[in-house]
Amino acid sequence: MMNSPLHTIVASLMLLLMIPAARADIPPKKITLSDFPAAAVDEVVVPVPSEIFAVLDKLGNPNWKAQLREGKVKTPEDRARTALLLGNVIAEGFVAVESEDSERVKEIGRQVLTLAEAINVRKSVITRCKSITDKADARDWRGVRSEFDGALQDVRAAMDELNDHDLSQLVSLGGWLRGTEVLTSIVQNGFSKDGAELLHQPELVNYFDRCIGSMTPRLRKNPLVSHIRDVLRKIGPIVGESGSSITVENVKTIHDLTREVNGQIVSGGNKS
Amino acid sequence: MKHFLNQLSSMQTFRLLFGVLLMCSVVPAQLHATVDDSVSFAYEAALPYYKQGFSIRKDAWGGDLGVHDKKAVSIQLFKGNTYWFLMATEVKGASLSVHIYDDKGDLVEGESWQKGRFAGARINPKSTGTYFAIVQILKSPEERTTWALVYGYK
Repeated sequence: MMNSPLHTIVASLMLLLMIPAARADIPPKKITLSDFPAAAVDEVVVPVPSEIFAVLDKLGNPNWKAQLREGKVKTPEDRARTALLLGNVIAEGFVAVESEDSERVKEIGRQVLTLAEAINVRKSVITRCKSITDKADARDWRGVRSEFDGALQDVRAAMDELNDHDLSQLVSLGGWLRGTEVLTSIVQNGFSKDGAELLHQPELVNYFDRCIGSMTPRLRKNPLVSHIRDVLRKIGPIVGESGSSITVENVKTIHDLTREVNGQIVSGGNKS
Repeated sequence: MKHFLNQLSSMQTFRLLFGVLLMCSVVPAQLHATVDDSVSFAYEAALPYYKQGFSIRKDAWGGDLGVHDKKAVSIQLFKGNTYWFLMATEVKGASLSVHIYDDKGDLVEGESWQKGRFAGARINPKSTGTYFAIVQILKSPEERTTWALVYGYK
């Protein structure tokens, strides 16, 4: 029982002692985001494809195998395209994990290594690629997913160390483009508002556009990079709409745009 | 965006990390205050969530801030996932916080906690879009305090 005066005093003292600690971290219910100057806002965190794929799995039972891309990729001579392709192939790895295709996962692990070598960051992913193979053999899909995420970060970190920041951004962009192609394909096949809402990524699209804008003039004028910027500017207004406003036609438009540009990343096409 | 230590990949690695952290705890003075150390602490904070099935991203974000300074990290979140954001510093005696706001500036986290040099916030986004993790140093014995933020999803 806590009825005695002593208990009341002790309880009051305890409450008083707790107040400063509680006051230390009571977040305001509302903030003014414009109070944060540019220097106080970190660049956008780019999600990995599996963050989106995890939601698609909850919404239904996507046919992941149907999303897998056929064939092997050839290493381009153009470093920009190689960086885009590397991100694209890593994203493909996430699709192979979803479809639980261990042979395809291992093949993609080898492709990652080959492409990484072409842009001098092979060393950074050797261990990852071996681990991808081991975990695919063990059908440890959560582990493989983690290794692809790690490979993506490792190659980017290695490129940043080599002062290849622009190429590092292209790796992320290549991954996002392939992830978006797959997302739109699945959403189109079983259209739902919840699925379409996953495309509501306005800040991310603007971020990639800004990234290209800040690249060296030589890279910015690269025909493929320039074409991707055009594509982003077509996608931007669509994904800028509120999630519930993205129609099946919008989804198809984004799918067609990303599919075409990913085709160029993989095979070169006539724009480069 | 800054990319830091991204080597954790399994429970074994987490255990190894704990071993390293244990060794660090017996070092009498903090000789090298770096963001990388803070990243290790942030991953330590993420461990319980990893055990609950959250996939912890290999990317980490960080820097240094003065006491009461805030920074916003913009993030794309997807409705249908649950996210935990974990923040930490290697500065002993410091405390910090992380809270999640939507693009209108409304506090939208489901829960949050703060324990000394560690802090966490959970969100189940009601819609897909841009969110902001607002990080802050609440107190610190140092003028500038390094911090790191990681997140997990499931």
